[in-house]
Amino acid sequence: MDHVPAIEVLDLHKSFGENKAVQGVSFEVTQGEIFSLLGPNGAGKTTTISMLSCLLRPNNGDARVMGHSIRSDAMGVKSVLGVVPQDIALYEDLTARENLSFWGKMYNLRGSKLKSRVNEVLGVIGLRDRANERVGKYSGGMKRRVNIGVALLHKPKVIYMDEPTVGIDPQSRRNILDSVVKLKDEGMTVLYTTHYMEEAQELSDHIAIMDHGKMMACGTHEELVKLVGQQTRIDLTLNGDGINVMKMWQEIEGVSRVSAEDGLVTVLVADSNQVLPHLFEAAAHLSMRITSVDIREPNLEAVFLHLTGRALRD
Amino acid sequence: MKAFDIALKDMTRSFRSAFAVVFMFIVPLLVTGMFYFMFGNIASDGEFSLPKTKVVIANLDEGGPKFQVNPKNIPGGKKADTMGDLIVSILQSEEMTDLIEVTFAPSAEAARTTVDSQNAQVAIIIPSDFSHQFADVDGEAIIEFYQDPTLTIGPAIMRAILNRFMDGMAGVKIAVNVFLDEADTNQYAMVGQVVQLYLKDSLAESDDPAGELLDVRAPSNGQKNEAQESQNLMLNIIGPIMGGMMVFYAFYTGTSVAQSILKEEEEQTLPRLFTTPTSQATILTGKLLSVFMTVCVQVIVLLIAAHLMFGIQWGDILSVVLMAAGIILTASSFGIFVNSFLKNTKQGGVVFGGVLTVTGMMGMIKIFAMNSAIANKMGDTISLLVPQGWAIRGLMQSMNGEPINSVLTTVLISLVWSTAFFIIGVWRFNRRYV
Repeated sequence: MDHVPAIEVLDLHKSFGENKAVQGVSFEVTQGEIFSLLGPNGAGKTTTISMLSCLLRPNNGDARVMGHSIRSDAMGVKSVLGVVPQDIALYEDLTARENLSFWGKMYNLRGSKLKSRVNEVLGVIGLRDRANERVGKYSGGMKRRVNIGVALLHKPKVIYMDEPTVGIDPQSRRNILDSVVKLKDEGMTVLYTTHYMEEAQELSDHIAIMDHGKMMACGTHEELVKLVGQQTRIDLTLNGDGINVMKMWQEIEGVSRVSAEDGLVTVLVADSNQVLPHLFEAAAHLSMRITSVDIREPNLEAVFLHLTGRALRD
Repeated sequence: MKAFDIALKDMTRSFRSAFAVVFMFIVPLLVTGMFYFMFGNIASDGEFSLPKTKVVIANLDEGGPKFQVNPKNIPGGKKADTMGDLIVSILQSEEMTDLIEVTFAPSAEAARTTVDSQNAQVAIIIPSDFSHQFADVDGEAIIEFYQDPTLTIGPAIMRAILNRFMDGMAGVKIAVNVFLDEADTNQYAMVGQVVQLYLKDSLAESDDPAGELLDVRAPSNGQKNEAQESQNLMLNIIGPIMGGMMVFYAFYTGTSVAQSILKEEEEQTLPRLFTTPTSQATILTGKLLSVFMTVCVQVIVLLIAAHLMFGIQWGDILSVVLMAAGIILTASSFGIFVNSFLKNTKQGGVVFGGVLTVTGMMGMIKIFAMNSAIANKMGDTISLLVPQGWAIRGLMQSMNGEPINSVLTTVLISLVWSTAFFIIGVWRFNRRYV
């Protein structure tokens, strides 16, 4: 069983009318690793996870979760799976303990086994002291923790976490990221979706970059960064219309790409020390003034920019 | 088992909502309680006035032994030569003028025709041998009570008055019979004095002579159910109102609890349920079971509470069980049916404000139009266009002590409604989440 990939995705397609949400996505997740789907909102991450959870039926393609096909063995898939949805999916008028007990029953836990698992999970998410309070009275971070706890009740082999850190405070975010690493240490496979580059970079063994329903690239962090050839990213702002100066910058030796979005001009260069003076000279030649400069070493953001021509933003 | 877990979870959520509990239990009892106190005041201060019941009397009594009742003991102080005259005098007494409007018909047929043509709500036909039968030891004095079947309150008032009167006269008859058993033949002429003495003695025990004269009852044609006869006027009014409230709010609860399917969809707990190893059929069964169980608890609690608080008699146990089952099933399936057409809970406002109120009022129109013959007849037809109307019909049949077959027929028709609602609702939900 150890040789079976935890998740094997083969050419998944999903359309909603004219909108092609997922177009031919394929990847493989090894057991015990954290695999991130990185991409902006609307990239197709949640649709992919919904198909892998058997919530949506793909138009084409198939996927296997611990050997169970999402097309022909949905119950098999669901029994090995824990899902942490993007939105908090809890009953706010029930207590944390009641929520966990109910969801445990839905995962076929009963009697003393259920009771002990609920207590264990309450310990894991650090809410044992407040287990008998209604979830509606919890802070956003506490709700997130219960939301994750529900997916851990039946000790699943694979966990899907769909943007679990959206809209929460830094401390809760830190707790969640730590708990994801802990799950991996316990031998679980985690499929994690995010649009935060830092999270994917910090957590993942492998990262798949998605945009407009397509998989743009897949690999380790190092492998992806190599795609942009170790290029440095320079973000600049100008005191006026930058169209002419951008044309001049594109001609400078060592500059591989110039793009602009929301008044911010991004230049990908091989060596920032060598290129930067030329950028200032060209701007001065056109009587333009550079009002800010931000130099960034190669990272996933640069990779995304390199692959899609735009920045990875909300 | 999982379906039951889902149902229990939903019930827990429902009963934790103060808003839901208020609408499930407190509002129906409170509204009925307001009517209870309002009608209670009729008896105490007489400030509340009901529309007068139109009564047509055909007094065909040819007389019998002369009772020589002292006019001062007859409300209105009129002379009464026969038992029929005595009844007429009482119905025309001052105490009755606020409640009934009396006219006379020359024959039984004419009296019935007056009711059939809705010129009167009740016909009281006193047969020609009424006094004679009353005086006969083995005789059975029976008054024909002919009412518009579409009306409830007016005839109920009349029935209560006559029942109480005839009951008292039965006491008189017992006194007469005892006298005839004990007296010599030559003393039979004193029967009238015996009656007078009985009335005098019984009146002496009362602070309200007129009231005491009316405080009598006896079987009359078509009104032979003893349990029904024991219901007093107020309960005849309060019972249907409480029943109507119960049906209205049972449908409200059915729709409200069934809306939890949409609510869970919006709260994202339904999609999450679909990610667990639980089949869609089990999840939907659990949701439907929760609707049924919640309405079941509500109806049972209201039936018992109304009985304890207001003394409402719902009927014999089998009829009540059948009637309650009809209400529960129809209300639950109606909720599922209605919600299956909604896209989200926001649309629920329209349903609660529109569909439920309109259909609920249509169903209850019979109760609130009881004193208008035409409105009542129309109401009877209109109310049966909606499931609430059938539920109320079953309830009234049970309360009126109608034969079990009648109740069963109504409940079976309710089940047809229920099955149709259920099939359409489940089909639509299944299609939605497939």
